[in-house]
Amino acid sequence: MSKIAVEQATIERKKELGNSYFAFEISPFSKVKTIKPGQFVHLKIPHADIYFRRAFSVYDVYPQKKTVEIIFKVFGRGTALLSRRHPGDMLDILGPLGNSFAFPANKETALLVAGGIGMPPIYFLAKELVAKKRDKSKVIFFYGGNSRADLVELARIRRLGIRVVTATEDGSLGFKGLVTKALAKEIDGLHGKLRIYACGPEGMLKAVDRLALERTIPGQLSLEAPMPCGIGICLGCILPLTAGGYTRVCREGPVYNVGEVRL
Amino acid sequence: MTPDLTIEIAGIKFRNPILTASGTCGYGEELADIYDLSVLGGIVTKSITVKPREGHPPPRTAETASGMLNAIGLANVGVDKFIEEKLKFLEKYDTKVIVNVAGARVQEYVDICVRLADCPRADMVELNFSCPNVDEGMEIARDPSLAEKAVASVKRVFPRPVIAKLSPNVTDVALIARGCEAGGADALSLINTLVGMAVDIESFRPRLTNNTGGLSGPAIKPVALAMVNKVYKAVKIPLIGIGGITSYQDVVEFMLCGASAVQVGTALFVEPNAPVKIIKDLKKFLIKRRLSKVTDLIGQLREY
Repeated sequence: MSKIAVEQATIERKKELGNSYFAFEISPFSKVKTIKPGQFVHLKIPHADIYFRRAFSVYDVYPQKKTVEIIFKVFGRGTALLSRRHPGDMLDILGPLGNSFAFPANKETALLVAGGIGMPPIYFLAKELVAKKRDKSKVIFFYGGNSRADLVELARIRRLGIRVVTATEDGSLGFKGLVTKALAKEIDGLHGKLRIYACGPEGMLKAVDRLALERTIPGQLSLEAPMPCGIGICLGCILPLTAGGYTRVCREGPVYNVGEVRL
Repeated sequence: MTPDLTIEIAGIKFRNPILTASGTCGYGEELADIYDLSVLGGIVTKSITVKPREGHPPPRTAETASGMLNAIGLANVGVDKFIEEKLKFLEKYDTKVIVNVAGARVQEYVDICVRLADCPRADMVELNFSCPNVDEGMEIARDPSLAEKAVASVKRVFPRPVIAKLSPNVTDVALIARGCEAGGADALSLINTLVGMAVDIESFRPRLTNNTGGLSGPAIKPVALAMVNKVYKAVKIPLIGIGGITSYQDVVEFMLCGASAVQVGTALFVEPNAPVKIIKDLKKFLIKRRLSKVTDLIGQLREY
């Protein structure tokens, strides 16, 4: 059996989350059960102006319905076109792709850091940690954005029953300032072993990387690069490794250990 | 009746005329996660050089209208690791392996092919004289007598068939084709990418750190067809068509223009299983047209 499937699926559900954010439920996808937090799917958006597929981190899965859920923000041509698709429309889905987050040890407190559109894989990880009956007090979700409108699906994250720390740069919700500042402040008051997981904009990831290295906290970052093929054959989505050479974000990543990639 | 899809090039028999193009399928490992490589007529590996190469810094790909630009810069594991690991991996599959070879000087092609001569899994070599993204290589691609010399030098050390891959970035592709034929090439593959550029109007910068890159995908198919058609009339050795092939219709077009086989390249980035579909559809087409074998298509273009 092949590990990766290429299939035609339907947009079952479309939700507008405001501030140009959308959630799509896509079904059926035969590999739903094998998808792990941190992995992504590569979608073909049928349109003459688009040649490559577009990569989307998996936000959630519903194995019984064979459904994959993604969240995206309209950013360029691809996401703009995708946002105009409707329930019932077909999409070609390729996946699951990339590696996944390594779960924390039982004693460790997992600090999950999501910045803006980097939230989906972090939510998926949080959901899996909760589903695996981890001590909920040992999972803290940090969610940051420019303003409260960026913190989409906040109610759903809160329903996981874990502590959610919000941060907005304009102060419209929670901590006023960068989510990494909120994280640093929180870490000062925490005891025991910690492990950081982060996905978000480049600046945030750099700050988390630095913070984790400075305080010798282990952790993983989910990185991004434009991905033509998504399966490791085009060598387009490369990033420089700290140890030298390049890594294919789609294949060896998108999840890397703190300090592993030169950000 | 099931039509016969097999083709033969320089005594090597391929189960069908669909190969994957160099630089678009790595060394086969990634596609093997999606389907059995044994369905392919053949696989043409990523260019191999004497020493490993990291390639150019990112960004090195850009999406363009009906295609893409790339300037990877021949990133590859080098011939030693290729033979030890990558070629070994391909032993599992019942498909022809064509090793694409790149170098800065004729001697480098020879050095690599000497090594490959002892590897029976390397059914053929394809000489990449035409990578537009490394300065050194283009000289051979543009000079028929140099191309002839390079092919002849490789022929002396490599005991199995040698393919020369032609660049479209020349004044007269037929002239280079004849040079390669004179040097003893067993087949020609064409075309490599066309030199192109994409610009970002926000940063005023090219979209590739190499500034220019190689254009590929459906955008270049008409150029490729015209060149295959031209070279088919200029040489006697078999041709392998390359350039934007995405569907069985594209394959038929290339074969009518004179190609004995084709390579699917950039399409793999969008549809990694495109070859599987193409092979199935090609069979249906032959049945519909009541053709008993795919070779009946080669060079059957009815020109005005």
